[in-house]
Amino acid sequence: MTSITLPAGFSDLEPFIDWALPSADERQTKRRTATRAQLKAFYDAMLPRLEAVLAAADAYPLGKLPAELHPLYHMALSMAEVAPHIELYGGAPGVPYAFEETRFIAAHGAQDTALGLPPTVMA
Amino acid sequence: MSDINHRWMEKYPELGSGPISTEPYISPEWYDREKDKIFRKVWLCVGRASEIPKAGDYKVKRLAAADTSIILIRGKDQKVRAFHNACAHRGNTVVTETGEETFGSSKAAIVTCRFHGWVYDAEGTLKQVPSEQRFYDCFSKDKNGLTPVHFDMWEGFMFVNVAAEPESSLTEYLGEYATHFAGYPFDDLDYGFTYSTYLDCNWKVAHDAFAEAYHVDTIHAGSFPNVFSTGLQNVKLMGPHRTCAVCLTLNAKPTPVAGIANALAGASLVSVRGESMLPATINPDKRDDFAFELSVLFPNTLLHVAEGIWFTHQFWPIGHNKTLWEGRYYVKAPETYGQRWATEHAMTLQRNAWLEDTATMEDTQRAMQSRAKLEQHLQDDEILIRHGAVVVDQFVNA
Repeated sequence: MTSITLPAGFSDLEPFIDWALPSADERQTKRRTATRAQLKAFYDAMLPRLEAVLAAADAYPLGKLPAELHPLYHMALSMAEVAPHIELYGGAPGVPYAFEETRFIAAHGAQDTALGLPPTVMA
Repeated sequence: MSDINHRWMEKYPELGSGPISTEPYISPEWYDREKDKIFRKVWLCVGRASEIPKAGDYKVKRLAAADTSIILIRGKDQKVRAFHNACAHRGNTVVTETGEETFGSSKAAIVTCRFHGWVYDAEGTLKQVPSEQRFYDCFSKDKNGLTPVHFDMWEGFMFVNVAAEPESSLTEYLGEYATHFAGYPFDDLDYGFTYSTYLDCNWKVAHDAFAEAYHVDTIHAGSFPNVFSTGLQNVKLMGPHRTCAVCLTLNAKPTPVAGIANALAGASLVSVRGESMLPATINPDKRDDFAFELSVLFPNTLLHVAEGIWFTHQFWPIGHNKTLWEGRYYVKAPETYGQRWATEHAMTLQRNAWLEDTATMEDTQRAMQSRAKLEQHLQDDEILIRHGAVVVDQFVNA
């Protein structure tokens, strides 16, 4: 983990590098077990940078993102996971009044999203 | 002059308006009859043909409510066929299952029983028996292929019927339901996410929780806080199947991250879109507040279609108070990293809404099992639940 760095122009996000998680399962667990303060700090840091991060990824065709940009893209995906909690759930780390999250199994949950593969389980 | 409060009862008076018994939700005996009279009799949707795209690809689907597992395998002739996953030797499963769904691929388009190596091809023929000469004269490979299961397709969906002789073809079974949804671009929107869990509730408790929009303002106050149900429209009952339009109003501008996502892709249910991809049968009056079509393909598949997105819920009974739920969410395959991210955002919100939906189910089951209340009361916009209860009763008592 400690060896991960962000590309030039995004070093301001390096304090949040622990949100650079490849799979949906890892990002969900990180969000679910974070504190309110950690969620808010990550959201506040990412929001003004989100469009620039996605634009940097969009310089490459889907499936061809260079390895050095994967952590940055993974952080944007963590933002997709975290945003509803700040914007809709009053900062709560869990989904309020919900079924136990750990019992929901995502078929695509272990996949590295930056690879751009279809999430469908197939033969 | 029609009464707006009771418009569905006026359209479908044969369903009645009285309370509905909770007994079918909590009785093990009733569930045994459902297995015999429903799940071993009717056509069941078991996936998309695109899940097994190449010759030799196969999927094994467990059907606990029909006491079997089904091998769906694509042959060298590109046709998909269905068989019970049971070996003619001593009854072992031919494909070793790793869960509710097991996927595999065989270049030779064969499956081999792990137990003693019996080999079957994709037409179900028994091709090879190790030490065949040690079996006796009464044994013949020709008579010991895989046991076929009736199979057919509609709009890329695979269906099986485990009855020895189905009472109707799939086309007859689907009836008007098939024409209602014909032409929706299911195959173009083939980027599919799947979630699943086991719920400690009857399959109809799960069905009912998803089959109305009355709960939107309460249950989804978290994930869709500015969305308000404006009621059902265009309810249509079609034999054992049913459909309606769910209409919602959106009262506020999107949140900051949702705004970025909406600009990148219209993948979210809660975003406004332009030109229609819906068949003329769906939202026929072109209402502005149309959100999605909510339908039930009897017995256990809910199919929802909207602009740019469709999703299904399937409720597979495991026991009278245990259900496997599978939720699948489909959009057009993203073409850029930005679109892929927007899809993730939309899927995350939808997952959270499903977490809200499933939250009540086990509570409902436990409360019903207390027998403190022996019936439930349904309002006019819960007509899909009423129709479901009536249809189940008709099948079970047939």
